[in-house]
Amino acid sequence: MDIIVCIKAVTLTAALEGSVRSYDSVELNPFDRPVLETAICLREENGGRVTALSMGPEAGLPSLYEALAMGVDRGVLIADPALAGSDTLATSTALSAAIRRLRPFDLILFGTRAADSDTGQVGPQTAVRLDLPLVTQVHAVEPSGNGLRVERNADQFAERFDVTFPAALTIHPGSAQPRDMDLANLGPVFEEQNVTFWGLSDIGLSPEQVGDAGSPTRVRSVSRIKRQKMCEFINGSPMEQADQLMKRLTEAGEVG
Amino acid sequence: MNGNLSAKHRLVRRSVRRFCEAELKPIAKEIDQEARFPWEVVEKMGRLGYFGIQVPRELGGAELDSMSYAIVVEELSRSCAALGLCVTVHNSVAVYPILAFGSEDQKQKWVPPLARGQKIGAFCLTEPNAGSDAAGIESTAVLDGETYRMNANKVFVTNGGVADTCLMFVRTNPGPGRRKISVVVAERGAPGFVVGDLEDLCGMRANPVSSIRLYDCRVPIENLLGQEGQGLRIGLVALDTGRMGIAAQSTGIAQGALDETLQYARQRRQFGIPIERHQAVQLMLADMATLADASRLMTYRAAAFRDKGRKFSKASAMAKLFASESSCKVTDMAVQIHGGYGYSKSYPVERYYRDARVTRIYEGTSEVHRMVIARGLLTE
Repeated sequence: MDIIVCIKAVTLTAALEGSVRSYDSVELNPFDRPVLETAICLREENGGRVTALSMGPEAGLPSLYEALAMGVDRGVLIADPALAGSDTLATSTALSAAIRRLRPFDLILFGTRAADSDTGQVGPQTAVRLDLPLVTQVHAVEPSGNGLRVERNADQFAERFDVTFPAALTIHPGSAQPRDMDLANLGPVFEEQNVTFWGLSDIGLSPEQVGDAGSPTRVRSVSRIKRQKMCEFINGSPMEQADQLMKRLTEAGEVG
Repeated sequence: MNGNLSAKHRLVRRSVRRFCEAELKPIAKEIDQEARFPWEVVEKMGRLGYFGIQVPRELGGAELDSMSYAIVVEELSRSCAALGLCVTVHNSVAVYPILAFGSEDQKQKWVPPLARGQKIGAFCLTEPNAGSDAAGIESTAVLDGETYRMNANKVFVTNGGVADTCLMFVRTNPGPGRRKISVVVAERGAPGFVVGDLEDLCGMRANPVSSIRLYDCRVPIENLLGQEGQGLRIGLVALDTGRMGIAAQSTGIAQGALDETLQYARQRRQFGIPIERHQAVQLMLADMATLADASRLMTYRAAAFRDKGRKFSKASAMAKLFASESSCKVTDMAVQIHGGYGYSKSYPVERYYRDARVTRIYEGTSEVHRMVIARGLLTE
């Protein structure tokens, strides 16, 4: 099974204007770690190869190292100054171009979203660009024929699908507990340096297809939201307080 | 803060910190209160390479460098100093001397289970009448045919309650003198090998510090580490690395106390504002951060020297002296900023305060370190 996992190095602080990513300000998107775990388990059980693919500045390289330390076989980083400012669509343009170069493959996996931008768009957009069948929010996978049987929960329904290879999935963060890193894996990651760097020309794209030029969305501004905190006491017996609290939370759409 | 660390060392820190936040921090208070050695976490740490940080991979270790070792111990101690202690002592003064002085057979026999945490190591030097004066030990190993007949009374053995592979410092020839001290490995379970009661200590309570006594315990002659009479040299070489570990541990304790205090100072309000905005508190926070950072830099310098194959004894001794004394100052200020709550077990800083205190005592007291450093200066 040849699996490509698309991962992102996310910023730890709000992506305010002019912020520059550095080694200390980014980390592997926490929503991607269960995806890597899922991919590595599939390989351990079925053989094959796992490639971690990421797009972004070199400051994101440690995230690929982390994926390698978890057990993926190789990393690919698409890094090019022309990619700066890419929105989700331009990102999917770059990822899909890189994935075409990585053919043949069976499965493309994504996290459901990134902890810093939270759009959840890149996985589905990339699948569309590659014309692949896509199942989102998958929490269980098992091989089945020339493909996979996958499960997802949507609203109040449990859904089960059979997909044939090649296919794309977004993996629910609760689907797998990512493994702790074995310190013995860290040395080889840096000795073997199993990361390939691709610029735009390597994936057959021109600067106007990506970055600001290739992005239909424009970020006008980013600012911190100041929330007014309020403290309110609910009176009554514990039962009444609990009922009242549930009612209020349900009305506010926080539960239910 | 760590501008010079390589990508590898950053990943080491990130890996260990994530593990500690998930596995150690949540139980640190409980295992301190119950004076319990958390086997369930130790077993996991064993599988993840924490007990063979610098051991070659062919012997089951993680084969990382000294800088990585310092970072691992620092990060463990930031969450739980008692486990940091277990790991640093095991790696530096139990496993490392076997790698450095052991025969090929000894390495093959002892190192793999130690490197994976299936066995725990201990360094048994201190006796009731021999602490700072290491040459004053009275334990003996008398050659009798193909075995040593060992009689020993070792106290304050870190990891003692759980240790399997114990480096015993003994006299292999009767009479006083430095040249007659050797290291013979005694293994738990041998007839005459007795683990004493656990010490009821002020801090580091999750580490099973105990006495270990040998009563006519027979050990094969193959268990002699290095040569007869080489004991003090083995001890000194081990302690050079060990002291770097204690420096890293002290740095981690200071950093942990600082992190807790920053969080508290942001939340705690007095006179209508968070106490972090009071200048008196800020002055202490600044000193705490400066001491922790200087400790870290000195520790990393010693580690870098060792990785480059340079002499690092003095750098290691200075780092241990400075970092241990700093950790006591930093944790004292942490308690002070927390006020009454800092003196309460409801907050973790009292534990950091208790744990820090022994770093000025073990693996060479501050006073012995000053003597060693001064002697080096005067003879350079």
